[in-house]
Amino acid sequence: MAFIEADGLTKRFRRPVKDPGLRGALKHLVVRRFADHVAVDGVDLRVEAGEAVAYVGPNGAGKSTTVKLLAGILVPTAGQVRVGGVVPHRQRVANARQIGVLFGQRTQLWWDLPVRESLALLRDLYDVDKVTYREQLERFDDVLGLGELLPVVARKLSLGQRMRADLAAALLHRPRVVYLDEPTIGLDIAVKDRVRAFLRELRADGTTLILTTHDLGDIEDVCQRIVIIDQGRIIYDGPLAGVKDQFARHRSMHLHLADPVPLDTVAAAVGGAQVAAGATPGEFTVRFDRFAVTAGQVIAAVSAVSEVRDLRIDEPAIEDVVRKVYAGELRLVPAP
Amino acid sequence: MTTVAADTDAPARATPSTGVRPYRALARVAARSAVAYPLSFVLGMAGVLLQLLAMLSIWAVLLGSGTSVGGFSWPQMKAYLLIAYVTGSLMSFGDWEMAARIRDGMVAVDLTRPVDYQRARFAETLGVAVVEVAFALAVCAVVLAVTGPVPVPPPGQAALFAVSALLVLPLRFTTVYLTALLCFWTQNIFGVSLARGAITNLFSGALVPLTLLPGWLQAIAAVLPFAGMTFTPATIYLGQATGSDAWLLIGVQAVWTVALWWGARLAWRSAVRQLTVHGG
Amino acid sequence: MRTRSGPRQTGLRRGVRLYRRSLGAHLRSTLEYEADFWILVAGSALTQLVGLAFLGAVFSRVPHVNGWTFAEVVLIYSVVVLSDAVGPLLFEGVWRLPWLVNKGELDYKLVRPYPVVLQVLSDDVGINGLGNLVTGGAMFGWALWRVDVAWTPALVVGGLGLFASGMAVKLSISLATNSSAFWLQSPHSIFAYAVHQIGDLARYPVSVYTFGVRLVLVVGLPFAFVGFFPASAVLGAGGGDAVRAGVGPTWLGWLTPLVAAYCVAVAALIFRSGLRRYESAGN
Repeated sequence: MAFIEADGLTKRFRRPVKDPGLRGALKHLVVRRFADHVAVDGVDLRVEAGEAVAYVGPNGAGKSTTVKLLAGILVPTAGQVRVGGVVPHRQRVANARQIGVLFGQRTQLWWDLPVRESLALLRDLYDVDKVTYREQLERFDDVLGLGELLPVVARKLSLGQRMRADLAAALLHRPRVVYLDEPTIGLDIAVKDRVRAFLRELRADGTTLILTTHDLGDIEDVCQRIVIIDQGRIIYDGPLAGVKDQFARHRSMHLHLADPVPLDTVAAAVGGAQVAAGATPGEFTVRFDRFAVTAGQVIAAVSAVSEVRDLRIDEPAIEDVVRKVYAGELRLVPAP
Repeated sequence: MTTVAADTDAPARATPSTGVRPYRALARVAARSAVAYPLSFVLGMAGVLLQLLAMLSIWAVLLGSGTSVGGFSWPQMKAYLLIAYVTGSLMSFGDWEMAARIRDGMVAVDLTRPVDYQRARFAETLGVAVVEVAFALAVCAVVLAVTGPVPVPPPGQAALFAVSALLVLPLRFTTVYLTALLCFWTQNIFGVSLARGAITNLFSGALVPLTLLPGWLQAIAAVLPFAGMTFTPATIYLGQATGSDAWLLIGVQAVWTVALWWGARLAWRSAVRQLTVHGG
Repeated sequence: MRTRSGPRQTGLRRGVRLYRRSLGAHLRSTLEYEADFWILVAGSALTQLVGLAFLGAVFSRVPHVNGWTFAEVVLIYSVVVLSDAVGPLLFEGVWRLPWLVNKGELDYKLVRPYPVVLQVLSDDVGINGLGNLVTGGAMFGWALWRVDVAWTPALVVGGLGLFASGMAVKLSISLATNSSAFWLQSPHSIFAYAVHQIGDLARYPVSVYTFGVRLVLVVGLPFAFVGFFPASAVLGAGGGDAVRAGVGPTWLGWLTPLVAAYCVAVAALIFRSGLRRYESAGN
């Protein structure tokens, strides 16, 4: 049995459709109209213990709603969900002990208290023993630099500092599974690196990780599996590496040649690859399928025509793939 | 609004408008937003309405059978309580709104507007007061319909009452405004509001006619500005103060109003310094 | 491997201990603002003293109101004031509920292993309760000393029980009205506060009010059971000439614990139902 099991998980919100103002409110008392919004539509998900899953999708796709359903904050309209054998919204307390949650947009720290006090309160709420508590704090200090934040009152923290403290708060009680909803939103790159390093540590620990994010850089090192959701439905669920290999086959190589060679000559030299001219004469971009021809072969071919002064190879980002999926340009079929 | 040309004489800060138009506009907007949320409006008036209910019930029991206490018969006490209610309805929302604006930092925006801050707040108060008085008078009409009439003063006395009544709002405004300014120095308006409310309630005579208080409390009330908010107009209405006595009381009201108005301007300047120098 | 959590205190002891921890944390953050602390204490104390001044002024002119003497009226008044001390000091968090619901701040509370309602109630401390405690306590003590009651140990215990039940009535009404936030859109407690102000009517003997108001204070929003009915029952049982106007029989006051249990149950039901709505409708 998988650690997280979701079958046909559906969440439908009924929103009243009202005309604006007092008249609309009164009218709605008599003539009741609702609009249904299906945030999560028949999601099937199986996550094994220790897996790290990236949950990706455009705004409004249903990512946060899915996380809330898994955490037991929302009750599903249809379908089942079990986490660690427990139904989250029914056995709230039992579920609470095994999960950690981070909502990137909100803090769970007590606003007027120093971070240390918030963590102490959480320690008591989750019945964490003294030894574990000390160990955790040391660990958080190593990876997140938590020590310097402990005496600071939560409302005085910068966004990056707050996120680090919230991560500590979410993981203080060593939960078996952690739901991270946009943990790097609004952060600068230095903090993002720290957070990602921390997530890698968690993975090494064997904690199950569900990570929703817009920033695909978050998932490159951390998650092996990517689930793409759009309009409430899962449109891809499979290994991350597979996605890149399958759908990010192309590489772009930017070359700066010593001699002012015309475009046609370069194109002819490279053969099957696409060549485009760059901004200045001598600059070219070669787009090639890396399974058809290697980078070395491309360089050798171009060198035959002219000395290569400078070159740069673009590594395809998962962003490109997903962007294409959002745009409907790419239909992903999960690997069997 | 005139466009700002490259004018070397242009003032660094917006100078207050001399016309009445911006203030009229502010008053109108304030009145409209009070009416736009009728439920919130009524709920905000609940406190003073409930106090009226309690006082009417208690005094009805005490005076209903024709007795009089401290010189007040039932119809007289009823008139007193209704006047106390109407004057008490004014500025029900003043405290919180002003304090909220200060706390939210909206004051910084207000400072850049070409209107005098104090006059602007007074204009808004006037706008809302129109709605508050309309509502309060409607309640009075209901009470009178249900419990019977109250004595009406003769025309000369009524004129004196009108003059005194007009001074109530400026007087209330200045006291509330001054306490709201404390928000620049303290975080918590709740405690200050409680204290001001309690002191005002007692020493304005809203809770109980000042003449019914023990001597030492009456002496304190005499040197405070609050009596002018309820007791003075009510006592003139009931004919308990006439002629030169009445004019003296009105004079005291006026003096306090002017003194507090200018006191508030001084306090404001100090508050702005606090804001701009210390960052609020 | 992951270490296990330490031995857990179970149930009630844990619940109380965590509640105290939460209150303590909020109290400590409130104490940061020393000036505000004293202003709040002073403001609330002043408010109650003014009320007492009113009663004093009235009773200096008349011997009794509806048969109730000065000390007896102060007894009712002080009990209601004390309920406004216990509320802010121990359960102030309830007034933040509309804001929490509106901003979606209940989410984190839902994933913690502790009842949400207790997390909400302990989420704030109102220092105005301290001012009310001092003034209300003094008035209560004075009134007990001055009323014409033949105190027996049984009566003392019974009376305290009644007054405590009355406080539970008041607090339940606060919880129920603030829980309306689950259905309304507003992040403000304005409705709950207006209802609370209706409770201020019950500071005076409910017998002075007309039938309609009495109906509200006895049946609709049973604020009459906070001070009036318990005081009636205790004074009635304590002997003395019963010239006090009552509302119904005097023994009605002895039902206050039942009324309190009913109110607590209703409030808990409303909160739970509201929470379920939060979980189904999101925010």
